[in-house]
Amino acid sequence: MLSPYRVLDLTTERGMFCGQLLGDLGADVITIEPPGGSPARRFGPFYRDVPHPERSLFWWALNRNKRSITLDITSSDGQAILRRLVADAHFLIESDTPGALAAYGLGYDDLAALNPALVYVSITPFGQDGPKAHYADSDLIILAASGPLVLTGDDDRPPVRVSVPQAYLHASAEAAVAALIAHHERQHSGRGQHVDVSAQQAVAQATQSGILATPLHAEEFQRLSGGVRVGELRIRLVWAAQDGYVGILYFFGAAIGPFTRRLMEWIYEEGFCDEVTRDKHWLAYIELLVTGQEPLTEYERLKLVVEAFTKTKTKAELFRAALERGLLIAPVTTIAEVVESPQLAARDYWQRLEHPELGQALRYPGAFAQFSATPITYRRRPPTVGEHNRELYIGELGFTAPQLAALQSKGIV
Amino acid sequence: MAHDLPLVDVKILDFTWVMAGPAATRVLADYGATVVRIESTQRLDTGRTIGPFHDGQPGVEHSGFCQNLNAGKLGLTLDLSQETGREVARDLVRWADVVTESFSPKAMRAWGLDYTALRQVQPDIIMLSTCLMGQSGPLAQFAGFGNLAAAISGFFSLTGWPDRPPAGPFGAYTDYVAPRFTTVAILAALEYRRRTGQGQYIDQSQAESALHFLTPALLDYTVHGRSQERVGNADAHLAPHGVYPAAGQDRWLAIAVCTEAQWQALCEVMQRPDLSHDARFGTRAARLTHRTALDTIVAAWSQEHNAPEAEALLQARGIPASAVHNSQELYGDPQLTHRRHFVQLPDSLHGTTTVEGSRFKLSRTPARIERAGPTLGRDNQYILGTILGYSPERIAALADTGVLQ
Repeated sequence: MLSPYRVLDLTTERGMFCGQLLGDLGADVITIEPPGGSPARRFGPFYRDVPHPERSLFWWALNRNKRSITLDITSSDGQAILRRLVADAHFLIESDTPGALAAYGLGYDDLAALNPALVYVSITPFGQDGPKAHYADSDLIILAASGPLVLTGDDDRPPVRVSVPQAYLHASAEAAVAALIAHHERQHSGRGQHVDVSAQQAVAQATQSGILATPLHAEEFQRLSGGVRVGELRIRLVWAAQDGYVGILYFFGAAIGPFTRRLMEWIYEEGFCDEVTRDKHWLAYIELLVTGQEPLTEYERLKLVVEAFTKTKTKAELFRAALERGLLIAPVTTIAEVVESPQLAARDYWQRLEHPELGQALRYPGAFAQFSATPITYRRRPPTVGEHNRELYIGELGFTAPQLAALQSKGIV
Repeated sequence: MAHDLPLVDVKILDFTWVMAGPAATRVLADYGATVVRIESTQRLDTGRTIGPFHDGQPGVEHSGFCQNLNAGKLGLTLDLSQETGREVARDLVRWADVVTESFSPKAMRAWGLDYTALRQVQPDIIMLSTCLMGQSGPLAQFAGFGNLAAAISGFFSLTGWPDRPPAGPFGAYTDYVAPRFTTVAILAALEYRRRTGQGQYIDQSQAESALHFLTPALLDYTVHGRSQERVGNADAHLAPHGVYPAAGQDRWLAIAVCTEAQWQALCEVMQRPDLSHDARFGTRAARLTHRTALDTIVAAWSQEHNAPEAEALLQARGIPASAVHNSQELYGDPQLTHRRHFVQLPDSLHGTTTVEGSRFKLSRTPARIERAGPTLGRDNQYILGTILGYSPERIAALADTGVLQ
């Protein structure tokens, strides 16, 4: 879909997912690494636990469908080469501190002067401007600053993050959206622009609009292990099964109440509750609790009834019943179970990419969506450091082999 | 200066509901797309029952969640279980560039509104279906909400404390992740159609999209057979790294020391020069080994400080730190204020409402967010009369059949 377009990817670990997404959609993405390789190659886990720039699973996760060249953009020769590349590029993505590339004469204004149609995407912790624009950051810091962290975890312990870093994936995926909107506009105007993505603002989406509680004069959500607390109401989503945990949306109202009623019917059938418990007014139950017609202690008792039941079943039994009976239950799935999932296998989700340098093919998560006319293909495994130097410098930019060697000996490539 | 919004030529017919779909089309509306949102009073959008609510009062027109996801869209109430309703839908398909839907698979087919049928009506239509597990496979019919998709995709087992049951990420996590992929897919398909004239069908499994946010852990399993589990706030590379108590009730401070210089600076800010040459903490590897002792030391310091002051002290020395913000602090955050993250809109029922702004800025063609999301049936007249060109008599006749509900 994006095969006519070239993307120059100057990102650090913060922004690499954006270029990969555009590459999955067909764009020609060139990742430009400092000589010696991107610092993001130092992040583990590592292939067979040997730390090495060519063995970073973290880096592989973010750089498929890209070509790699090395270039020292802190040198004036390197900057000159980058400007030549910019002349023919459609997108440039970077994730440095605001102003860092401008200090090298590679800011948006500098490059737009060379190529007015360039869409220049900047991914930063807090955006290009504002009092926190130069804050030091990390995944955890962005989660704290944007709202989801305080809502996540056990109520008797500190807030907790997802154990696999998330913040910059939100920001980078948002950046791909923004880049394509600017691209769409460019088809009419012929002009590019500067796209300024704030990770803080992107991650605020993970508050599920809870960020608006204050301006709307509503009660704030509070964290609760495997659920959420709203006022005195402790809504629970995670339940113990015989062999692990399941998620159950045990809630009420017009949309969800019927599911809860079917669950209670099953629990009754198996002798875990009486008829009165089964036949509560599930569609209006939330109002009964809020108005005090039903005491909260009774709601707490119901949750114990459900748990006494779920503990006698395996995750698989509960999930099978969910499919057969129409219940809102899903197994809390381990990573191993995700990879072995029959659903994902049936949809041919996993994609093998040959890593000739390892003599092995690795399985990657597959297409993020299935396109009927233009299926996503994984054309290139993540490149080794500077793998495409010759192809780009000699094949496209017209350097001779001795000139390339000279650039290499000067440490520019 | 006024400008044409980037997507002013894009027309979306949007059957999606709750969060994942509406969050995706909201971005398109921010940048000028005309989004016609189909709702039904017979089958109310569950999103209207999700808080936060205006003044904490539930009600179908009080959901700030629903307003946040649907600002800038037009709303038509239409009963798709009636053939006359489906006729109106087909007329809108002729008008639209893109049709989006997020029902469980089979619903659109049962109404004769699946891709095969829509292509007959409009050969170059782009149609995107988004649901939890995708349109095919043994779990295709598994319906539910994003919290269940997050549980089944591994996010729950990876969130929480190793000695406790999984806490899970807050809320319907895949509903925050999947919309980015939805919007990207729509824009890429529009680009392809612009060049080739060809539409297509897009089958999005929200779980499959969201798994791209777990790739390092998935590779760790496919390469090594290691199934990663939740580790609290520990980081494989960094220490100290965590959420530390601050002065006050449920007040917290996040700190992530990434470099040696930051570690030395932290010792100075904490006025603990002794630590800077304590062998237990001399290198990153040593600090990782002694992270529990380190966490106790940092917590002893942090709990004596209020979170915003500690954040300022640490950031002044280049140490990654942030108070852990709740809604009240986010609303008062100078950075979000500077970025105009909160947008006030006139609202016919509440006077004003507040929604989030665009999460990014386009320098030349910024978003315009000017109109609150539709109350039920708010734009029926405009959509039927102006967009579809129906006569007043025809609209009245439709209303009489009860299909506009």
